[in-house]
Amino acid sequence: MSGIFSQIKAVVMMNVRSLPRRLWMSLAAIFAVSVVVAVLLSFLSMARGFQQTLEGTGSEDVAIVTRSGSRSELNSSLSRETANIISTAPGIAQDGKGDPIYSAELYVIVDGIKRASQTEANLPMRGISVEGFDLRDQVSITEGRVFIPGNNEIIVGEGVLREFDGFELGKKIRFGKTEWEVVGVFSTGGSAFESELWADARTVQTQFQRGGFQTVRVRLAETGNVSGLIQMVEQDPRLILDVETEADYFAEQGEALGAIVIIGWIISGVMALGSLAGALNTMYTSVSSRAVEIATLRALGFSNFSAFVGTLAESIVLSVVGGVLGALISFGFMDGLSASTMGASFTQVVFTFELTPELFQDGIFLALLIGVIGGFFPAWRAARLPVAIAFQRGN
Amino acid sequence: MSDLFLIYKNLTRKPLRLFLTVFATFIAFLIYGTITGFQNALDSGVELSADDRLVTVNKINFTQPLPISYVNKVKAIEGVQGVVHMNWFGGYYQDPSQFLQTFAVDEKAFLEVYDEITLTEEETKAWLQNNQAIIVGDTSAEKYGWKVGDRIPVGSNIFSQADGSSVWDFDIVGIYKGRDRQTDTTSVYIHYKYFNETQSFGGNYIGWMGVRTVDPKLNEQVIKRIDDMFVNSPFETETVPEKAFQKAFIAQIGNIGLILTSVVAAAFFIILVIVGNSMVLSVRERTAEIGVMKTLGFRSGRIFRLVLGESVLLALVGGGLGIFASLFAMAAINQSPTPLPDMLLDSAAVQTAFAYAAILGLVTGIIPAISALRLNIITALTRA
Repeated sequence: MSGIFSQIKAVVMMNVRSLPRRLWMSLAAIFAVSVVVAVLLSFLSMARGFQQTLEGTGSEDVAIVTRSGSRSELNSSLSRETANIISTAPGIAQDGKGDPIYSAELYVIVDGIKRASQTEANLPMRGISVEGFDLRDQVSITEGRVFIPGNNEIIVGEGVLREFDGFELGKKIRFGKTEWEVVGVFSTGGSAFESELWADARTVQTQFQRGGFQTVRVRLAETGNVSGLIQMVEQDPRLILDVETEADYFAEQGEALGAIVIIGWIISGVMALGSLAGALNTMYTSVSSRAVEIATLRALGFSNFSAFVGTLAESIVLSVVGGVLGALISFGFMDGLSASTMGASFTQVVFTFELTPELFQDGIFLALLIGVIGGFFPAWRAARLPVAIAFQRGN
Repeated sequence: MSDLFLIYKNLTRKPLRLFLTVFATFIAFLIYGTITGFQNALDSGVELSADDRLVTVNKINFTQPLPISYVNKVKAIEGVQGVVHMNWFGGYYQDPSQFLQTFAVDEKAFLEVYDEITLTEEETKAWLQNNQAIIVGDTSAEKYGWKVGDRIPVGSNIFSQADGSSVWDFDIVGIYKGRDRQTDTTSVYIHYKYFNETQSFGGNYIGWMGVRTVDPKLNEQVIKRIDDMFVNSPFETETVPEKAFQKAFIAQIGNIGLILTSVVAAAFFIILVIVGNSMVLSVRERTAEIGVMKTLGFRSGRIFRLVLGESVLLALVGGGLGIFASLFAMAAINQSPTPLPDMLLDSAAVQTAFAYAAILGLVTGIIPAISALRLNIITALTRA
């Protein structure tokens, strides 16, 4: 047995070391695979970044209450009265004074100029109270200060600042007849709230002629337990509401780019067929250029299995090198790239591409697949090469 | 021996290599064709926009409302031929996840301003007479198996009726067709009056207005007149040509054009590398032969053309097959119920594809062709 292994080892090393002799053909195979992997990972890192941004937004400790069937904050509407009733539901955490911790919020859409396209895009403007900040983890003012209730002042998320023009600190923005001043910039640790403009809830109500709210958020007394709220909604015929944890709400929205994952796999899968043709071409060429070498080894007593493994290994090495190269290209260009797209709430969601280790594995998997299939058939030929004919051809 | 025969013989010398390089080219052009078709479908909303149509929305954002009183004021503006107001209904069919693009419109003006929506005379009459009427596009009708005469429930994820129900029943009085193959026929339309009387939010608000001008040349003046009229009111307007509105809407999704172009560039890069290398190799293998041909009196220019002809022919065959296959792929995708308009490749796009194939053939063949051109007989024969 050890004989076979040392044979294989010798042949594999010979093949790999002689790669520079077939430099251009080998590079062609490597590049072809690297492009396929780069394309795949670019799509996947886009979808993953979007998903992670939204999943990172929702908390298990917070429940979000919307009008039944509305499916997004924008479509929901709740009267002031409803908001008050909700705050009395069982299962809501209380502050030091024994009051329920909740936040009734408005959600309206305003225009912002997207830097990338210089066109108007839908930005969410949230009417919120400072108490509402406590219902989000990691809210911090990175520049300026918080808005003063009653003043036409807004604070903008870091994502908005990154992707949209005209929201820098101190800028004045007109929404309809009223002018708002940017008095602060806030961060929420990269979550989707950073794609929003925040202003005082009452001021938004007045300036946008709105009586009620869009949503009510409550802090749950027990993580993930919304049964108290649901029970109350079921028993009170005045309440036609949906209750879910914020984590569930945003997880659902994070699936919006799920189609991108499928499209990414289809496109790179089809492309992989093209680069498979390249790999096969390279490997058949390699086998025919090594015909004499293979025949010599066989004449020396090397098994045809070692010729098979040697060729297969060469192909796998090439494609894995290509795969790693492609992943690095994608990582270099895509990872951390900021972009913004239309989310489920009909507003822009700013997110960054994330090339995670799992995605890296996906890329290498695709490269390996090309390498194995692209090496198998040429390796088969190498193994079955009739020794005598190979020598004749060599002369 | 004709050159074409020589090219053919050279190409088919190694059938496996020929197959692999043609296949790689085929894949790249299949991707190119399909993506171009997709882009075409995506752009159709912009391309099919009427030049004489404007969209007037609330200046804050198009989701903010406008008072209905604006409609008559805009109608009275010089240069305006017709105005239709529209409201987003937030519709769904059967299940909230089964999104149905529903607009509540001024039933009469709608057909005048959006004349790409075609109904039979009988259907038009029924649409105008029945206030609970709904007209549905043939794509949606086919998807859900609707027929004229059906009464269907349409839910709203925004509005509700006085009794708290958020589902309305409507009579299908017409299944409209699009004037163009790519006209949107997934949307459904209902009467604004009926909607506004039955929804419980109250208020006489509209979403936006579609404005038809007498002549596209007057667009700019009309835009200015409309927006000036409402300046400093609580509801300022922003009027833009329909084309610009559609473009901005698609740009909200992201720079899809850049993504698609990058994918195509990547696909072309792959074949450039694979086919280019393959050509270099196959000419190098023929060094001795080229030496013999030159000895026999073949001119260098002719040999140059033979090699280049070989690579161009290869690219054209592979590219042609790929484009042909992409037509089938698109036909299959168009058959399935997607929210996207039909994907199409017009003859100009096919011509561009062949031009790309020819360029690709020239680029991949140029290096080996030059080396064949320069090849010295003595070196060629000794190297062999």
